[in-house]
Amino acid sequence: MLSISRLLRRFTGQKASKDTAKKRLQFSLIYDKLELNDTTLTDLQKDIVAVISNYFEINKDSLELKVKRDDNVTALVFNTPILQLKRKRA
Amino acid sequence: MEGKVIVITSGKGGVGKTTATSCIGAALALEGKRVAIVDMDIGLRNLDVVMGLENRIVFNIVDVVLERCKISQAAIRDRRIENLFLIPASQSDNKDVLTTSGVERVADQLRKEFDFIIMDSPAGIERGFENSIVGANEAIVICTPDVSAVRDADRVIGLLYSRSLTPKLIVNRIEPARVERGEMLSHEDVLEVLSIDLAGLVPMDEHVLISSNTGTPLVLQNESTAGQAFKRIARRLNGEADLPVQVPVCKMSMWNKISRTFGLKR
Ligand SMILES: Nc1ncnc2c1ncn2[C@@H]1O[C@H](COP(=O)(O)OP(=O)(O)OP(=O)(O)O)[C@@H](O)[C@H]1O
Ligand SMILES: [Mg+2]
Repeated sequence: MLSISRLLRRFTGQKASKDTAKKRLQFSLIYDKLELNDTTLTDLQKDIVAVISNYFEINKDSLELKVKRDDNVTALVFNTPILQLKRKRA
Repeated sequence: MEGKVIVITSGKGGVGKTTATSCIGAALALEGKRVAIVDMDIGLRNLDVVMGLENRIVFNIVDVVLERCKISQAAIRDRRIENLFLIPASQSDNKDVLTTSGVERVADQLRKEFDFIIMDSPAGIERGFENSIVGANEAIVICTPDVSAVRDADRVIGLLYSRSLTPKLIVNRIEPARVERGEMLSHEDVLEVLSIDLAGLVPMDEHVLISSNTGTPLVLQNESTAGQAFKRIARRLNGEADLPVQVPVCKMSMWNKISRTFGLKR
């Protein structure tokens, strides 16, 4: 059913505040789920260090793992200085 | 046959858990079922006053879980509605006195003595929430049509799923006139955002506050639209799964609608 107020909104091009509410909700629910908790981050960091250490010598204390948020993307940024390449033992 | 434990929960506080618990419990008892309503909001008990049974408390749910009394000693019989019992919360204890294993044991005992056990969960997602869902066979999430309540509902739905419970949703305090004007999320909006099945829709209703003032059951008032909505929810829980959901409508006259739309009236 098309109500009078909806009809009027259509004429005036005015936006219903509930549409804004819905958009904000959909957006925040997606973001809420992307939020990583501390233990997940620490575990992830350990795993990454283990994998990288197979190939490079790294300083385990100077690395940092961050979640960076932009308007449309969420990125994981892992930063570590490489000390040297590990020699593969034959 | 074993009874069913249904937990009513929300995440956000003040959205209508206690109201829903008392109404659904009373309505199920009116349908002829033997019903226990359990207040799991330890330290902040409220179900007793909403139901008008606050003067008859002797033992409480903490006493039952800690085996200081039997279920039959803690369950207060409602004298107005047959087969309706309240197990109140304790007012002095802290939420941490209960253990999940203790609550599970009591839930098993309750299932043997009642057809339905409705648990009123505290707000939040901490220990008290865990305790109220641990013994549940089914869960109902309740929210109001606003951004924060729906967001919290989403969080709670996720937590329930991770405990293998598939909840159904009640949208409470719907104001049809405002939905119509586009000022309030419609139940369709809420369902789309949460992707969950509906247990029922409950309108904003002045009778809710009035009946909680006096401690009289809302479902006994035929003129209460919320009371009638909760009755239909109870029938759906009691096997009439196909009973259609009624969408709250506004009772405004056509003239009021027109004048409001054109800004003549607020
Ligand atoms: N459909 C309704 N119409 C009008 N008022 C309502 C409705 N549902 C609930 N209320 C009112 O909202 C308030 C909060 O309700 P209630 O105590 O049931 O919420 P709650 O979720 O149990 O709160 P808490 O998280 O504090 O335990 C009460 O004053 C109640 O009367
Ligand atoms: Mg409550």
